[in-house]
Amino acid sequence: MNYENWLKNILDRHSAIPVTIERDWIRVTVSPNLLPELVGALTHDWIFAGIVPENDPGIQAVRLLYVFYAQHGPWVGIEVSNHDQSVPTVSALLFAADWQEREMEDLFDVHFEGHPQLGDFVLHDDHWPEGTAPMRRHSWEIHPKATEPQDLSMPRIVEAPGSFVMPVGPVYSGTAESIQFHLETVGEEIVFAHIRPFYKYRAVEKILEGQEPSVALLIAERIDGLTAFAHSLALAQALETLADTPVPPRAKLLRVFWAEFERIRSHIHVLAGILESTGLSVPANLMQALEENLLQVSGVSAGHRYLFGLNKLGGLSRDWSHAEIQTIVHQLGTVVQQSQRISDALAFDNSFLDRLESVGVLNRDLAISHGLVGPVARASGVNRDLRAWQEYAAYDQITFGIPVQSEGDGYARFRQLCQEIDQSYGIIQQIPPLLSPETPMASGVRITETGTAFGYVESPSGAIICGVSVNGQGMIERSRVVTPGLVNWHAFPQAVRHFAFQDFPIILATFGLSVADLDR
Amino acid sequence: MLWFREGLYQSLKTLTPQEEFSPSPGLTPGRPAPTAMEDAALGAICPTHALQEQERLVEIDYARCIQCHFCHQRTPGMNWEAGYHWAEMKSPGLPAPFRHSLQVRVIDAGDCGACLNEIHQLASPVYSLHRFGISFTPAPRDADVLMVTGPVTVSIKEALEEAFGAVPEPKRVMAIGTCALSGGIFASSFAVAGPVDQVIPVDIEIPGCPPPPLAILDGCRLIMGVRSKYPIKEG
Amino acid sequence: MVGFLIFLVLSIMACVLVFVVPNGWVTHVSSMMGSLAAIALLYSAIASLFFRSWFLNLWRLRGWGQLVMGEPHLSAFFVMVTGLVFLPVSWYSPEYLRRLQHHYNLRYFAVIYHSLTIAIILTFLAQDVVSFLLVWEIMSISSYLAVNFEHLDERHTHEGYIMLGASEAGFLVILGGWLPLIAASHSIDFSAIQAASLHYLAPRLGWVVMLCSFFGFGVKAGLFPSMSWLPRAHPAAPAIFSALLSGVILNLGIYGIIEINGVLWPIHQPSQGLVIIAVGSVTALIGILYATTENHLKRMLAHSSIENMGLIAVALGAAFTFRAAHFPDLAWIAGIAALYQILNHSLYKSLLFLGAGAIDLGAGDLEMDHLGGLGRRMPWTALVMLAGVMAISALPPFNGFISEWLIIQSLLRSVVLKLPIYQVIFALSGVIVALTAGLAATAFIKLYGMVFLGRGRSHASQNAKEVGLGPKGAMGALAVICLILGVTPTYIVRALSPLAAKLGGGGTLRGLVPSFFSPQQLPLALSQAFKPLGAETGRHLLPGPGLVFLYQSPGPSSHVVFASSPSYLAIAMVAFLGLLYLMVKVLKRHRKVVHNEPWQGGVRQLPVDAHYTATGFSNPIVVTFRAILRPSQPAEQEKFLASHFHTAVRRDVRESYVMDRLVFYPASKAVVRISGVLARIHHGKINVYIVYAFVTLLVVVSLSLWVLP
Repeated sequence: MNYENWLKNILDRHSAIPVTIERDWIRVTVSPNLLPELVGALTHDWIFAGIVPENDPGIQAVRLLYVFYAQHGPWVGIEVSNHDQSVPTVSALLFAADWQEREMEDLFDVHFEGHPQLGDFVLHDDHWPEGTAPMRRHSWEIHPKATEPQDLSMPRIVEAPGSFVMPVGPVYSGTAESIQFHLETVGEEIVFAHIRPFYKYRAVEKILEGQEPSVALLIAERIDGLTAFAHSLALAQALETLADTPVPPRAKLLRVFWAEFERIRSHIHVLAGILESTGLSVPANLMQALEENLLQVSGVSAGHRYLFGLNKLGGLSRDWSHAEIQTIVHQLGTVVQQSQRISDALAFDNSFLDRLESVGVLNRDLAISHGLVGPVARASGVNRDLRAWQEYAAYDQITFGIPVQSEGDGYARFRQLCQEIDQSYGIIQQIPPLLSPETPMASGVRITETGTAFGYVESPSGAIICGVSVNGQGMIERSRVVTPGLVNWHAFPQAVRHFAFQDFPIILATFGLSVADLDR
Repeated sequence: MLWFREGLYQSLKTLTPQEEFSPSPGLTPGRPAPTAMEDAALGAICPTHALQEQERLVEIDYARCIQCHFCHQRTPGMNWEAGYHWAEMKSPGLPAPFRHSLQVRVIDAGDCGACLNEIHQLASPVYSLHRFGISFTPAPRDADVLMVTGPVTVSIKEALEEAFGAVPEPKRVMAIGTCALSGGIFASSFAVAGPVDQVIPVDIEIPGCPPPPLAILDGCRLIMGVRSKYPIKEG
Repeated sequence: MVGFLIFLVLSIMACVLVFVVPNGWVTHVSSMMGSLAAIALLYSAIASLFFRSWFLNLWRLRGWGQLVMGEPHLSAFFVMVTGLVFLPVSWYSPEYLRRLQHHYNLRYFAVIYHSLTIAIILTFLAQDVVSFLLVWEIMSISSYLAVNFEHLDERHTHEGYIMLGASEAGFLVILGGWLPLIAASHSIDFSAIQAASLHYLAPRLGWVVMLCSFFGFGVKAGLFPSMSWLPRAHPAAPAIFSALLSGVILNLGIYGIIEINGVLWPIHQPSQGLVIIAVGSVTALIGILYATTENHLKRMLAHSSIENMGLIAVALGAAFTFRAAHFPDLAWIAGIAALYQILNHSLYKSLLFLGAGAIDLGAGDLEMDHLGGLGRRMPWTALVMLAGVMAISALPPFNGFISEWLIIQSLLRSVVLKLPIYQVIFALSGVIVALTAGLAATAFIKLYGMVFLGRGRSHASQNAKEVGLGPKGAMGALAVICLILGVTPTYIVRALSPLAAKLGGGGTLRGLVPSFFSPQQLPLALSQAFKPLGAETGRHLLPGPGLVFLYQSPGPSSHVVFASSPSYLAIAMVAFLGLLYLMVKVLKRHRKVVHNEPWQGGVRQLPVDAHYTATGFSNPIVVTFRAILRPSQPAEQEKFLASHFHTAVRRDVRESYVMDRLVFYPASKAVVRISGVLARIHHGKINVYIVYAFVTLLVVVSLSLWVLP
């Protein structure tokens, strides 16, 4: 594999760089000035996972890990000691790091030299003074400032006679989540779009600190209620790695089962949203009824309509008999069949296709440079799927193909979702025969050693990467959740450029983005 | 495809009164119920401190309970109740003209998406809130009821106040979900400005994490003053 | 004649007096003399129009003929319109001129102003070809001086030259129209030409006269294809001259067209009228498209003037066609429509230009993207501009509604014309006029909304100041006249009727305005059906004809083709609004009214950046009519930082006027190329020229030898 060459190259050139092998990843410690060079060498063959903060045990400060992984390869964390709180930006080499650096700057007060747009991102400047750095303080030390009425600040980059900004949100549309868009326009077409997110920033990563693992899972699944199982799975896997406890095979398989169940439900939710945005109310309502169907199935079988509380450290909190599993598969089959019937009919519906085809195009280059994840990336021709690339849980026992589209338009994203529903149902059908009845559903987990580990899950909307470090008492010390929302929202403004206002809600719906997932 | 015909061919999807009368666990997850027991460790089990033991009776503060099942799973004797009549009125409902029409504006004040999706499901054929004359409106100016979900973050607080100011009288505020009532699991966060009633006056509280659509619908009908007319067992 | 002489004396006196009085009095003296002169003018026009027109034989030119001056009906009508514009403009001028006094000598302004008014009036009054052409030239030059008054700005001079050039080119074409007339009638006297036209029927000559006069005067009127000077001249001119330019000088072109084609050498072939209709509709459409998308206030009003001139041409064309096709009643209606539109346009357009001047005074800017929120800062200007905007958008109860309604109605009468091609042209131009009316409403909603509503988009517009008493009075008077003309149209029609009858070759007032609901004129059933509704109310109180427009198809099976009563409409509107006001008052009696900030999506304060701009408002029209307005896609330049971060998206919008793009730029390019070729054979060497002379001699001799015998 090329990562060996890369490591060898690095070590050949800079012999002083220390390389340590952690539990399941490689730590490379460099000084800030070497960072761009190392990251630049990684950008082509490795995937950027995110920036994960870690407490420096020596001097009670924060250091950053730039985490990368390779297809079927190991994970690498480039550790940067930034004692002077200043690190050169890598966004110019790796645009996917743009928002992550902005986030780190707001939360940790790390200055990224050369980054053009720092400040006023996670913490809105009208409530939080610059330099608040909440993640470096105790929570009782952080107070928002009193706000005086002032004009909303709007970035302007369009220079055209008569151009203006169309603000949308934060409170807009029926049951839309709170986020704000500043659409720069000269009237009909969106010339440029800016996003102002983090209206609902709840500081999940801060409240995770000092929590014991079982409660931490409850918090993690409330990052995004619609992909709760994937979020808790990512955190659980990270913690299980830290505890070095194997999960029983039956629990692993059933985790895959419920993860795929959630994927189908989430995709049907997105499909319903797309149909609603195109104004086709009959199929939209049918789709929504199917979603409700699945919510009820999970309510009956898992005790919660959104699968909250299902994951448990070391396994799952419930068990099901073979008959129960078969019933769920059967109910799922009916739903999948009906949703397929609707989407097949839509493929011949001109009024539907006209609104999706060649609308909201995001080409492959943009998808790669923004480091897109999930169905959105796969619809733009980027074959990226953690289930196949990293084979967590029980995905190594299952055979499945990854559907990929090439056009990157709204219709490609629609088709991608439909095909992934089929694929997930295929995975679910493989699971019941593999289940062995006797194994326990969960193993006891105790974390005794300090350290940092990564949990990674391909959630319905893309890769969730969860970096956690724990202290000696088994409590969470630092955590970082890189969500698909954080990555995919970054690219969304590029997809709406040059399209008319009436296309905007449709493009938004085809992305299937969750604001809660971005804001955390 | 003739979607109209397709819609007609589908069987009726709306819940029957019978299904609403005795809801399946798929419609509502249920919640812990007050239990007569003595267990000193019970208080520590609850991650949001919703359990209080008073004179051999474990009471539940539903404004804090996030239905995590911890008490249920770890203490076998803990009661668990089905049903969904969870709404609690703090002030009288709307006057009679609102019996047949209610315009609702939903404000997401830091919701994880679950409460919001449950509200959204109300518009699905299964719950079909339109049959009660309830509909969602994008403009607070047209709204009679504000539904607020989420723990009210610092950044959204101003928008929530604006929206409340924009709703004409008579108006009611519905706080939906445990986060909106107490901050829930996010109560300790520095970025949370506090539960809804610390920002704007709340008239009706619907606990639950998330409260099932039926509970929210129930709350709407309480506000409209029509619940007693429907053949449903009072909660 | 007395009125005219008083006008002449007062105007000349004003030119002299301004050099006598102290500096501070100049504008006031000029204004006072101007208003008195305008009143004298109105007196003269009304006397000639309704009582007796006068003629005055000036001296005789040997070998040419008699020079005549006089005020027949047509001239009197135009003089009246001119007087109606002069009067408020005179009141308006002192305050407007105050801002110019530091840079320019206002004495010269007064001289230019008064000599321009004299030249304009003389052009209307000249009743022979030679003096007409003479005063026309004087008028051209003095209007150039007027437009170029703020000559310290280089651009103004440039635009002034373009205007002068266009005017002179038009003059040459007009000459081509006059010469055949002189040749045919052996006279320069208008009355002699008119007399000759009765028995001289040469269709080819008719075409030459019609085309030359229509397109020649069309230059001055701003008709297709030579209207591009107009939107250039207006922003350069001071507001006062803009008002005159649109309200009066454009009328000179229309006057010329009517004088030749309607009076002196009346059109005999319907197809000639159709040419006028077609050109008029194209003009109107182009004018309104540019007016809708233009964001400079004065330039936008200039484009709208082009549109109005187009509408007038359509109505005139319809009148001429009907007349040539022997439908005098319809020709009369179309003639009424044309005259009404001329009157209306002069009034509301001068109101709007004076309003633009007031905005320029108050806010110091005319770019709609920079204005906004002036309604609160300049309430009076906002009110009168609302009247002007409603009038020009053809909304009742203002005057624009009546003339546009009559134009469309007369176009719809094309069914009586036999040839399908006539019907097609009429129908198409009807469609275009309707589209124009719709776009005009859009354009002026944009004007009013962007300038007066919302928040100020610039510092200047946020601190705008209301104008003083003079401009307020001037604009108010014009607005009131617009309202009166819109409420009592049947009286105006009665006044215009004789003139229209002359243009249409027949037609009577009763054809359009029946005297109330007399059973003699109407089917009995109809008249009886209307009576209980109160249609006879006021019959004995109101003088004159009825208050209803009603056209019946001629012939035995007579039925009502169209009917309307703007007067009753206005009464009903007032009644309904009053009732509504009372209802609201009563209903609100016991209710608390809460005033709240507008809902902005949860944002407390949106910056001005989030305000809809004029560009944004008209963008859908730019997109729809891209082929005409902006055929090339705007080039987009993006700037990046570090290859990913967008720092700027720049769009340069380059626009060229459609006529410039299609006609004048290619023409001027061709001229330059031809002169380049010609310059190549002019070496300045004497021997080469001798060769040229020799070759020419050879050619001429051989031609005379072979061709001539």
